[in-house]
Amino acid sequence: MSSSRALPLILVLLLAAGRVAAEPGEWVSYRDAYRAMVVFEKYGKPKNLIQNHYQVMPKDRGVPAEGLQLALNSKSLQLKLPLDATGRAVFPLLKTAYDENAELVLNRKISQLVLRPRVSIVVRPDGVYEAAELQAACEQALNYQRFVDASAHAKKCVGVRFAFAGKGELPGVKLRKGDAEQALPVLPGAAFADDPNQAFLTVTYRFAQPAAREQVVTRDAPLAIAALFE
Amino acid sequence: MEKLLALTLAGLCGTVSAQTPATNLMPDGSHDMYIGLGAVSAPAYEGARERRRSALPVLQMEWSNGIFVSGLSAGMHLSRQPSMEFGPLLAVQRGRSESGSSRAVGGVEAGSGEFDLVLPAPDLEAKKAQAEVGRLSGMNDIGRRLEAGGFFNYYLTPQLRLTNSLLAGSAKERNGARWNLGVQYIVRPGAHHSLALAAGLTLVNRHYNETYFGVTPEEEMSSGNRAYAPSGGLKDVLLGARWNFAFAPAWILTSALQFARLQASAKDSPLVERPSNLTVSTALAYRF
Repeated sequence: MSSSRALPLILVLLLAAGRVAAEPGEWVSYRDAYRAMVVFEKYGKPKNLIQNHYQVMPKDRGVPAEGLQLALNSKSLQLKLPLDATGRAVFPLLKTAYDENAELVLNRKISQLVLRPRVSIVVRPDGVYEAAELQAACEQALNYQRFVDASAHAKKCVGVRFAFAGKGELPGVKLRKGDAEQALPVLPGAAFADDPNQAFLTVTYRFAQPAAREQVVTRDAPLAIAALFE
Repeated sequence: MEKLLALTLAGLCGTVSAQTPATNLMPDGSHDMYIGLGAVSAPAYEGARERRRSALPVLQMEWSNGIFVSGLSAGMHLSRQPSMEFGPLLAVQRGRSESGSSRAVGGVEAGSGEFDLVLPAPDLEAKKAQAEVGRLSGMNDIGRRLEAGGFFNYYLTPQLRLTNSLLAGSAKERNGARWNLGVQYIVRPGAHHSLALAAGLTLVNRHYNETYFGVTPEEEMSSGNRAYAPSGGLKDVLLGARWNFAFAPAWILTSALQFARLQASAKDSPLVERPSNLTVSTALAYRF
């Protein structure tokens, strides 16, 4: 096919593409998100203490996270994906949405946002965390990180971070050793180390060396528990 | 995520090397396909001074079982580890006639290839070019060749990929072999943009270089080029960039720039008028 003969076809394609591009809405490709999120589902090593969400966060500190909305739209599906306070949503792995080349729609300019899979430690309903269990959870998160990023092999687990709502009563988090209890310090900061949103109250528990028989006890359920690597 | 999103829409080093799209996990029974059309401006053949502008069909398909087609190369992802990709690879090596190299089909991903397209009858442009590509006049035609081999890619980080592909079956006697080595770095300057930068090199055996850069005594008589018997070794070094702009969920504009410089025996061939070449392409593709 010569370039002169191809030109009309290219113009038709461009016009068709222009019509599609003119449709309103901030979107990301469901297929692209799917291929990132499904890696965790296919991961075959222990992961019972960790979970994976799809996270939408403002890129910069000045942009408010409140009011962010995420939805999945395709020819036959319209789903709202509720975001928690840390911007995480349960990501539906749906063949129908994939086959229909669905889009994830946002109510903010996408250039202001960061979208990514986010692995965190599962919150316990009783609020009592054995140090050994937290360390095991951190190791599971680190092993998964190494699975998706070979450069993480030099990192090691050093602790976990509990994140609570930034407004309201100070969270109560204590370190229990036998009968003794000690309150852990509460600091403002981000729920996850690489999050720009610093509007949380956080409590960091660093693993003792050598491992100690102790518990971390939370009065209120944290919004998220992040593994800390260094 | 960064890597996976970027690699979906990024690529480079694709105009002459047979590399592979990234592993694409999807539901069982699903597929991810791009088809489109654009234009490419490239040397009439490797080492030619003359440039040729032509239409560039874009084709990339991936299935849930790991099989992919990118340009006119095809292979299968066997690894289920995100940091590693390997598997068998088939590719079509471009043929060459007195009018230059045959045309190409592009892909949209990192390392997606540009390969032969089954050609229609020579058009006016080709006839005109034939007259202009003087150093191939009197040289024997080289047919298209199906090459077979494998690929192995390794991610140092989610953004940085080392690529390898080894293919055999090219050259007149189908005993040519080439080994493409490269490194690719993907950045995302915006939510719907990705930019992939690459550097690479190609090592070939003697049979490969003899076919594409050599001149036999018979061809010396018919073409006027001095007889030349190149050795194997480093054939070329490559620098490239590919920019992909997804301006709608199903539409992508993919543009690539590649600089290649022939080396060693290939560069010294009497067929080579200009050892450094630039290939530029842009295409619009529909995802379905």
